[in-house]
Amino acid sequence: MKQNESIVMYVLRLAGTLFLITAVVAALLACVNAVTAPVIEELNAAKTQEAISAVLPGGFDTEITDFADETGIVSKVYQGANGYAVEVGPGGFDNTITMMVGVDNEGKVLGISIVSHTETAGLGAVAAAGTPKGIAFRDQFVGMGAENDILVEKDGGKVDAITGATITSRAICVGVNAALDCVAGLG
Amino acid sequence: MNFKKQFMEGLLTKNPVTVQLLGMCSTLAITTSLFNGIGMGLAVTIILTCSNVLISALRKVIPNQIRIAAYITIIAGFVTVVDLLLKAYIPALSESLGVFIPLIVVNCIVLGRAEAFASKNGVLASAVDGICQGIGYTVALVIVCVIRELLGSGTFGGGLLGEGGAGIRIIPEQFPAMQIVMPVGGFLVLGFVLAGSQALMKRMNNKSKKKEGAK
Repeated sequence: MKQNESIVMYVLRLAGTLFLITAVVAALLACVNAVTAPVIEELNAAKTQEAISAVLPGGFDTEITDFADETGIVSKVYQGANGYAVEVGPGGFDNTITMMVGVDNEGKVLGISIVSHTETAGLGAVAAAGTPKGIAFRDQFVGMGAENDILVEKDGGKVDAITGATITSRAICVGVNAALDCVAGLG
Repeated sequence: MNFKKQFMEGLLTKNPVTVQLLGMCSTLAITTSLFNGIGMGLAVTIILTCSNVLISALRKVIPNQIRIAAYITIIAGFVTVVDLLLKAYIPALSESLGVFIPLIVVNCIVLGRAEAFASKNGVLASAVDGICQGIGYTVALVIVCVIRELLGSGTFGGGLLGEGGAGIRIIPEQFPAMQIVMPVGGFLVLGFVLAGSQALMKRMNNKSKKKEGAK
């Protein structure tokens, strides 16, 4: 407290300074947000679009909103001439994996692509990587159908899990199963 | 102002990671590939330098009683700006570092330098301090990254080099110890890096003492 400064002035001076600083920072953030928000939104939209066209040749025409889903992890279903693209969010190693599963009109997997995830770098993250190992992992789901549950080899299935990332591999199997069941429910 | 001294302090004798032991959370969590280490190091260096300059410029305006609140507001502002810019223009890095960019707000290196240096020194010296400490942080991160990546995944330059960013394979796929990429490996490698930097400093001290003795 400065000399001859009343308690009211003292509090006002402190609060006023802090208010000024926060106001300036908030104004700066508003400016940066105004510039970057459209770019980020465009990127996200492009990413979803890309994920859909990666698993569903020909893209989609309509989004189906009234789908039946017992698992509770299906978030969006898109329909196109060649089948469906289903967005599912199974629980991964430490967070939800958002992935797109393409299913053809016969109920077989056309392909999967991972939109976003927080799996361990070098282990679970391999599932989403553009590396030969990652591509091989995702490609093995192609052609699988809903007649049998899709499981990793450890659980008696056919999916070759990523070394050291059984939980991530299992989560992706869960996602693919949910997508297939959901499309089967659509008829 | 002594640039050389500040540089040596940031790099070795007062390195934020190996001597001050600040920013451990990010050091342990993201150091699994070279790309992550360089990206995180650069982001912290930029934020640290910006916040150091602004805090130093405002050091006579900000009342002592509310300085921590003011510093954190300024730091959080810069971090959010960098976070938004990365998301919009370098999405690959933003995805790879994930939550650790927003967490730079509570990275003690930034607040630590604001409190210990920028609030007591001029703008230019604070800018140099931000850059030097940032370089020290980056170098320490990169060393931990390279060791963990090599021993844990058997590659070098993950995220930057190789097909699809897989890195250049040095150790055949069946040999690397996966645990090194997990948290426990982070602690182990960090411990060895700390020991190494201590040994290096001890040797340098002994040498300079011998020189003085010879005089």
